[in-house]
Amino acid sequence: MLILTRKLGETIRIGNEIEVTILDIKGRQIRVGINAPSDITVHREEVYQIIREQNILAAEAGSDDSIGGGLPHVWKMLKNPKEEVE
Amino acid sequence: MKISTTRFGDISIDESRVIQMKGGMLGFEHLKRYVLLTQDKETPFMWFQSVDDGSIAFVVIHSFVVKPDYEPVISDGEVKVLEIASPGPEDVVVLSVVTIRSDPFKVTANLRAPIVVNAEKMLAKQVVLVEGDYPVQYSLAENTTVFEGKAREKGKMIPAALAP
Repeated sequence: MLILTRKLGETIRIGNEIEVTILDIKGRQIRVGINAPSDITVHREEVYQIIREQNILAAEAGSDDSIGGGLPHVWKMLKNPKEEVE
Repeated sequence: MKISTTRFGDISIDESRVIQMKGGMLGFEHLKRYVLLTQDKETPFMWFQSVDDGSIAFVVIHSFVVKPDYEPVISDGEVKVLEIASPGPEDVVVLSVVTIRSDPFKVTANLRAPIVVNAEKMLAKQVVLVEGDYPVQYSLAENTTVFEGKAREKGKMIPAALAP
């Protein structure tokens, strides 16, 4: 990992088009401003991981034929929960 | 074109129905082409099937069916990437990824990171919403009463270009 020291207001440039600027420092919190082309998506790491894990879970659950084939069943149960007698 | 899928076998789809996924689904970044399929017209669930990996498919549902008052705010950058000229509901479709579970009452939809589709250009992106504090696991069972009637309107909500 490349490690750089920056002062408040200073910027790091990644490639030609990405700028990361230190905007504010308050105790343990640092505000970072990012300028990047619109096709580059910027995520908070923890949010990225949560969405990624949910996608993987969804894809795995969807690949289970016993469940996937039962979509009409799932829908029926959701629509008429009271009919569940089994 | 023909695609081989785990779930539906070999299927033939018109190339015009292929959706280009900008950046892919998070966790599946290498897969960029998808097609929307239905298995059963009675349910509002659809399949967002990868064209390039037949084993990958997500169950999706129209987000507004799940939550009629859903208000996803999409950034200017994403509007640009999706080539949405003038954001209008007729061309922009918002889908939520559904996590199916063996217990139907535990099925959830991801309202935090919807798949936004420009149906006119057939471009899509999984957008992580910053505003609105929408849940990643939104329970369908707890919200059935609202979308019961809406399911029937599903046909109207999906533009012809996308309609499976």
